[in-house]
Amino acid sequence: MALRFEILGRFNRARAAKLVLPHYVCQAPLFMPVGTQGTIKGLTTSQLEEIGCQIILGNTYHLALRPTSELIDELGGLHKFMNWPRALLTDSGGFQMVSLLHLADITEKGVTFQSPVDGKPMLLTPEESIEIQNRIGADIIMALDDVVRTTITGPRIEEAMYRTLRWIDRCIKAHKRPNEQNLFGIVQGGLDPVLSYAIGGLAGGESKDSFWRVVAQCTAALPEDKPRYVMGVGYPLDIVVCSALGADMYDSVYPTRTARFGTALIPEGVLKLKHHAMAEDTRPIDPSCACMVCKTYTRAYIHCFVTKDAMGSQLVSYHNLYYMMKVHFSVIFNTEANLSRDLHTSIIEGSFPEFVCNFLRKMFPKGDVPEWVCNAMEVAGIDISSCCDTKFHSALEFPHILGRDDFNQLIINQEAKFCRDHLFITRTQKDEKHS
Amino acid sequence: MKFTVKTLSGGARTGVLQLQNPGCCVSIETPCLMLSTRKALPHFLSPDLLSSLPSPDSRLLQFSPLHFAEGLSTQSINNIGGLHNMVGLPEYGLGAVLRDSIICLPESTSTNKNGASFETPFGRLSIKPVEYMKMISYMKPNWAVSLPDEVPAWVTEKRNKSSVDRTILWLDECIKSSKTDGLIFGAIVGGCNVEERRRCAHEVVKRDVSDKNKGE
Repeated sequence: MALRFEILGRFNRARAAKLVLPHYVCQAPLFMPVGTQGTIKGLTTSQLEEIGCQIILGNTYHLALRPTSELIDELGGLHKFMNWPRALLTDSGGFQMVSLLHLADITEKGVTFQSPVDGKPMLLTPEESIEIQNRIGADIIMALDDVVRTTITGPRIEEAMYRTLRWIDRCIKAHKRPNEQNLFGIVQGGLDPVLSYAIGGLAGGESKDSFWRVVAQCTAALPEDKPRYVMGVGYPLDIVVCSALGADMYDSVYPTRTARFGTALIPEGVLKLKHHAMAEDTRPIDPSCACMVCKTYTRAYIHCFVTKDAMGSQLVSYHNLYYMMKVHFSVIFNTEANLSRDLHTSIIEGSFPEFVCNFLRKMFPKGDVPEWVCNAMEVAGIDISSCCDTKFHSALEFPHILGRDDFNQLIINQEAKFCRDHLFITRTQKDEKHS
Repeated sequence: MKFTVKTLSGGARTGVLQLQNPGCCVSIETPCLMLSTRKALPHFLSPDLLSSLPSPDSRLLQFSPLHFAEGLSTQSINNIGGLHNMVGLPEYGLGAVLRDSIICLPESTSTNKNGASFETPFGRLSIKPVEYMKMISYMKPNWAVSLPDEVPAWVTEKRNKSSVDRTILWLDECIKSSKTDGLIFGAIVGGCNVEERRRCAHEVVKRDVSDKNKGE
């Protein structure tokens, strides 16, 4: 097996875990920045190591286009190509095809699309997606799924679910490096109540209220001893909630993309460095942050760069990723004054509820924690009443969450087998398209 | 800042430039290449990456004060403690020159007797010697080139001559209004006219300026 997953600590549904991959031993919950074309825009791999990144995501679609998976393979794989010694994850390529290429079409064979290079019709099959990913050589690879693009209901959702299962089998068969690369399966489904037993494919465009409920259902139903990866989640608040509900891995372009627009992530939320008020502000982005940017620069100086010069993107990207890592991370960084701020460490130390409350208090100092967060924390068994001002909240709902037994009764045989044998991820609301 | 010539070979020479920044003293061998910057940081190289370049050879940075014409006031720069503190490079040499040859270029047709004109990303800007030295007093670089009236090679003799006259006049004004310990490099103009170049050089030398900067 190319992956070992060991739970080191728990708080109700939340878990702190060790994820052993061929290139790195990771600590979860963890956030994975997206390095679309074999690079995180604006940052070198040595900076990413300093920041504490453990796994970086590469987009198979973009890499297959340029410089091609064959060239990457010839040059020793993506790790060597981009000089990244830690772990890598590649997606299947399917999502970009559907989101970027409006003429893409999905059939039983695979995803047919027009080549962006010469306009010729092309086909990405599950087998080919795995072949490309085998050549790229990431520690974790994704099965090609039948991506349902918008929140639609009815037969298409069901079709997507069953086809995804058939494609997973084809991916498993085509996988040539099972000892070096771990294959993750994606489960599609939707919100249709008839299919509520299907494991959580979230198609996009749902409200936050629906989003957390599906994540909660999935984590309740999925095996304990395997990592749960919720794709496309990048807002720090969403990550804290999903971790409380039992998810382990996240990825998003959000921290680096928002940096390029001049927005920094801070405990209180976001800081728009482009705002003219920043021109006279001689404080660092976040006075409590120990990153190179916050230790060296003022908001005023960064303000004169953002959206105008590359250095602005670089500095804010550096800070934003440092912030994401710090929120999640790791005994390695216990030079920080306040260890219990870290998701992983606080779960192990048994101070997870305090971490969550501190986090929410900083982000919502008036006590106006959103209703969906309160509901989710209720289900997660985390008492956040000290952070919530009652004037903002009516009586909380207690949504019905399927327990494992309910789930097993409702599921059909194929899916049960799949659930027990494979690793799961749920594809969630895509707030932004991957670039 | 101190400069000493070490060896001579014909007209060429090697030397040592000593930067005397607060709390540190760095010696840099010359001839030396200065790094060009955008808003006083090299393009794409944040300080953690800059430190991986050969040192101390990479410690001289050239910047244009005009990069800060919008978005960041010189008063803010002063509040932060000057440019070295603002860019996080206290052990580097920072030298000011208004033209950066990329995005801030002299616009001689708009220059007049009061000040030099430049095309910048913020539009056309006109700078008087007093205004320039005020910026310098807030930014506190290690050195600053005086304000020249730079003209292209194809101007008339008369215009070329007046560019030398103005450059010398503005050098006097820069020296008079200088409030910093940093050095002033006297700009030498004169186009392709060797006589005018010589005249300019002699006048600059008379002012006992720390060093001579040869303009285009």
